[in-house]
Amino acid sequence: MERRKFLGLGLVAAALVPASLSAVDFRKEKPDAFTAHNVADAIKALYGDIKTEEGDLSVKAPKIASNGGAIPVTIKSGLELKSVALFQDANPESAVVVFTIGEGMIVNYMTKIKMKGPGEITIIAEGKDGKFYKTSQKLDVALGGCEG
Amino acid sequence: MANMKIKAKVKGDTLKCKIQAKHIMLPYDAAKKKGVDANFMTLITAKVGERIIFEASTSQFISKNPIFKFEAKAEGLKAGDKLEMSWTDLSGETVTEDKKIKGLK
Repeated sequence: MERRKFLGLGLVAAALVPASLSAVDFRKEKPDAFTAHNVADAIKALYGDIKTEEGDLSVKAPKIASNGGAIPVTIKSGLELKSVALFQDANPESAVVVFTIGEGMIVNYMTKIKMKGPGEITIIAEGKDGKFYKTSQKLDVALGGCEG
Repeated sequence: MANMKIKAKVKGDTLKCKIQAKHIMLPYDAAKKKGVDANFMTLITAKVGERIIFEASTSQFISKNPIFKFEAKAEGLKAGDKLEMSWTDLSGETVTEDKKIKGLK
């Protein structure tokens, strides 16, 4: 019986070893950030207690999204950044995506996100100089898109 | 393996890429209703050779069949270089595909 238990434990341990693909996987490093239920908590879990300021950072999304299942969001910045995170406050969990920015990358991203209803998109950017930048946009959603 | 649509083109000194991956991206809420397990991408990366040009940790709220557009400096790229995209999802599945970058001399 004990031997069986021991073997079982071994299997579990093997399954837990992550197959890491590259430098930073925020889901593994900061799992709390992806389960936080509001934007402030998610930011705290990801970056800690930070003060944000305005800077050369912009977000573009439609004011009224006809389909909440695919809302195009564009993020642009001319700053020297380490990472950019996108949050929203309409869905049960806040974090949507975290981009890691490395050498030779240009911050000009477009992706499509899901939102259950009207809400606010918040972008937090972490600069190489240690400063944090924030921008946000409110938008209406005509048809909620979290039902898959 | 038509799992991904990849477009990569160099214009001037910028490499412009657009990808669309085929994935259900089922969030926890919807999965519960359907009585199946949630499944969504958790990490998406793009590489040219050894250089990582795009990396995103994603959650369940990226749309179904996710689209990403991104840019990078085209410095150091040469003809015949390939853009290699790969993603990992919650079930542990990893898919990698590559495509030749257009517009390089």
